[in-house]
This record gives sequence, structure tokens and C-alpha cells, in this order.
Amino acid sequence: MPIVIFELPDGTQRKVTAGSGTVLMQAAVSNGVDGIVAECGGNASCATCHVYVDERHGELVGPPNDVEDEMLDFTAAERRPTSRLSCQVQVSDALDGLVVHIPEEQV
Amino acid sequence: MSALTAAAPGAPVVDLDLAELRDDPYPAYAELRRTAPLAWVPSVGRHLLTRYEDIVHAEKLPEVFSSREKGSLLLRTVGPNLLREDDPEHRRLRAAAEPPTRPRQVRDLWAGAFERNAHALLDRIAGRGEADLIGDFAEPLAAANLAVVLGLRNASADDISDWSRAMMAANGNYADDPDIWLRAEGATRAIEEAVAEMAETARREPDGSVISSMVHAAEPVTLAEIQNNIKVIIGGGVNEPRDVFGVGAQALLRRPAVLDRVRADPGLWKRVFEETARWISPIGMYPRQLTQDYEIAGVGLPAGSRVALVIASGNRDESVFERADEFDIDRPQRPHLAFGGGPHFCMGAWVARHEVSALAWPLVFSRLKGLRLAEGAEDCTEGWVFRGLTSLNVTWQTS
Repeated sequence: MPIVIFELPDGTQRKVTAGSGTVLMQAAVSNGVDGIVAECGGNASCATCHVYVDERHGELVGPPNDVEDEMLDFTAAERRPTSRLSCQVQVSDALDGLVVHIPEEQV
Repeated sequence: MSALTAAAPGAPVVDLDLAELRDDPYPAYAELRRTAPLAWVPSVGRHLLTRYEDIVHAEKLPEVFSSREKGSLLLRTVGPNLLREDDPEHRRLRAAAEPPTRPRQVRDLWAGAFERNAHALLDRIAGRGEADLIGDFAEPLAAANLAVVLGLRNASADDISDWSRAMMAANGNYADDPDIWLRAEGATRAIEEAVAEMAETARREPDGSVISSMVHAAEPVTLAEIQNNIKVIIGGGVNEPRDVFGVGAQALLRRPAVLDRVRADPGLWKRVFEETARWISPIGMYPRQLTQDYEIAGVGLPAGSRVALVIASGNRDESVFERADEFDIDRPQRPHLAFGGGPHFCMGAWVARHEVSALAWPLVFSRLKGLRLAEGAEDCTEGWVFRGLTSLNVTWQTS
């Protein structure tokens, strides 16, 4: 199973094993990674599981879907070109080694 | 699964007086959090779950804490609806109804109408120098805005308000008062007719509204499903924005220094909104029923147990929010539970944020000069399942 790395705003990193076929948000929440709130439980309704995909991995992860793209305009921390909602990022073996950065605030 | 209408073995039993809860539930919740974070409360007929972490845990486990509560008054009032469904049924209905409530749609499609509605109501009272901001402004505004988002152009704000009140009374009709049922039946019939008419129109001319979105949903939705879900949205969609408006306006009128800061920096309205929703949550609790045996807060609950997630209590949990009983827009940002969590996360969250914090508060405080609480006005905050102000009497200068 792929290992993904969540980098917190203070620079510390959390390496977690993500189940293939799940989404990145679940990997964070089930491993107790701070800073991923996910109020709506993964339905792209709340914009509180915002992450910045590390620039080296942008192409691997791809662009946001339409619904997500809209929500990203309303995140608490600024939107950047690398912004994604982690509940909309499907985990696959191809994401092994992925680094995402957690923003300062989600609410 | 049958509903267990008694305490689970081992669950502490705590008697709470409903009249006291209605007056001020927070002292009782503080005591429960400290001594019995899961307690069977006979007058409520449910186990009350009161700590933040336990509530969040339950919200994220909908397959255990099911929304399909047997014998709920809401089901009797409006029929099957998305609030009392689990996925995948819930997801199909939510996906059909949700698009018009998303933030970009709110901004692009509804914000203009919301602003006109607010100005029209303020035009009516501006010259009077005094008003009840709940009855004269917040409630009719919430109702008029709801008519816009739902696509009920054939209903007035008064209709929406009356329907909402009639259904809300029925949802809390534990005393089984036949007059309350009768009024609710009248309201739900009227909604069914209004929705049927607008659904027919939307079929020909899509207008971006909730009714239109449900009519044209990718996964088909029946007319009866549209009708029932519009009933639910009308039931909750008036009092929630009304109550957060009222509680927040009163909080600021009592804290002139905070009000001055917010007026100088309109970016703070957003914080006022989130802190108001945390401090006195318009929805105080909602029911769940266990699909399987499950242990939470140290108590083993058998399948079928009824649990109330008391989000009003979670939002005052001192282990998460320091000085939780204080209204403080500067507190560290922690996610509050006022909009619920998991798949049932409040569908109206973005609508309410915009209509209250981006429009209603700023307009009221800028148009009504010298706004202040009326002399001798009593605090009319009440309710525990739903909590808000029944009136907010204010005065201002008219010259």
C-alpha cells in the first residue's frame, strides 16, 4: 500500500500508509493527522480538508474536479495552484511517496 | 431493528426537566459532560451524548449511528426525507438537492435577490425608529431568501414562515396535541401543491433552484421525494438563519467594543458568524439510532438504542474551547459542531453564511444608525432542540 507524507505547517512530517481505493482525507483522519478537519466526511461540502500538493507531485495527482474547484474558492487558507481537497484525491499505488502540505487553517 | 425506548444496561439515568432545558440547557450539559457524558434522560427518551470528541466520533460513523430513527416525529410530519436516511439513499437525494446551495451558486445566483430582500424589509422599518429584529426582519428575510433558493416563486415569505412554524411545532409535538397535527397537515398539503406547480415549471424552464435541480437530477427523484425534502428544508431553513442572526446581533449590541471592531473591519463578520453558531447553536441536538451494539463514552449500547448528539453541548466543551461559555470572536479557530458533521453536514451552511454574515448583519448595522437594545427589553432566548431569540426589540435614530 502507498505511503503518503503530510507536512504540517510547522514543517513536521507524518508518514502514513494509505489504503488503495480510499481517499487521501481518510488516510489523514484515520491516522489522526492534525489539521485535516473534514467536517462533511468526504462529500466536498465543507472545504475543511484542504491541502497543497507538493509541487513535485502536481502532475501525479492532477487537477481538481468541478465541484471541488468551486469549493476551493472558499477555503479558510488561501487557494494556490496546488490546492486540492484531500477527500477528492483517490489513493492509488502511483501516489507512493506523495507529499502534501497542510495549510495553517481549515475553518 | 426495533427502537429501544429505555436506558441501555449500565447507562446512567439523569432526570432533566424539559422546561429548564428550554430556559437554559447549558448548566445541565456542563454537568453531564463532567459526570455522565452518555446518559439516559427519561424526559427526552434518548441517551444524550454531550462531549465534543464523542459527538465527532459518532458523526463520522453513520453506519453505526443511523439517521433512520424509528418513530420520529419528523417522519410523521413530512414523510420519508433525506435527514432521516442513510447513504446511499441519502446521497442520491442530497446530490440532487445540493448544487444550488454551494457557495459559488449562492454568490452568483442568489446574493442579489438576498440583498434586495434585506433592503426591502429595512425600507419598511427604517423610518419607525424601533422594531423587533426577529419578527420584523430576520424571520421574513430568512423566509423570503428560502423561497428564492428553493424556487417557490408561488409562495410568499409569510407562507413559508407559517408553514415552517406549523411543521416545527409538529416535530416537537411530544404531547400529541391534535390541533398541532392538523395545522401541520394543512401546511404540508399546501407545500405539496406549491412544489408540484413549480416542479412542472422547472421541468420546462430550469432556473437553478433546489426544486429545479431535483427535477433535473442525474439520478431520478420522484415528485413525492421532492415535496418531502422541500418540507424538511422549509422546516429548518427559516429558524436557523433567523436564530443565528438574532443571537449574533444581540451579542454585538451588548458588546459595543466588539461591534466597533467589526464595523471597522468587515472581514470579522465571518468570525462573528462562526462564534455565534458555536456559542448558541441554532440546532442543539439531533437523534441517531444504533444499527449494532456499540460502546461509546464508556457505555455499551445495544443495537436499536436511541442517542441524541447534543452539538450545543459539544460546542461548550471546555476541553476543546477555553472559557467555552463566553462569546469571543478572537478565540483560536477550532471546528465547531453547529453544522453537524459527516454526510449530513448542513446543506444550508453556505447560504446562511452569506445571507447572515455577508448581508444581513452588515446592512442592519450600517442602515439603522445608533442601533441599540430597547430600554428594558428582556432577553428572550429559549429552546434546547432549537435555540434562539423569540424577539429582539431595538431602537435607532431616524433623523
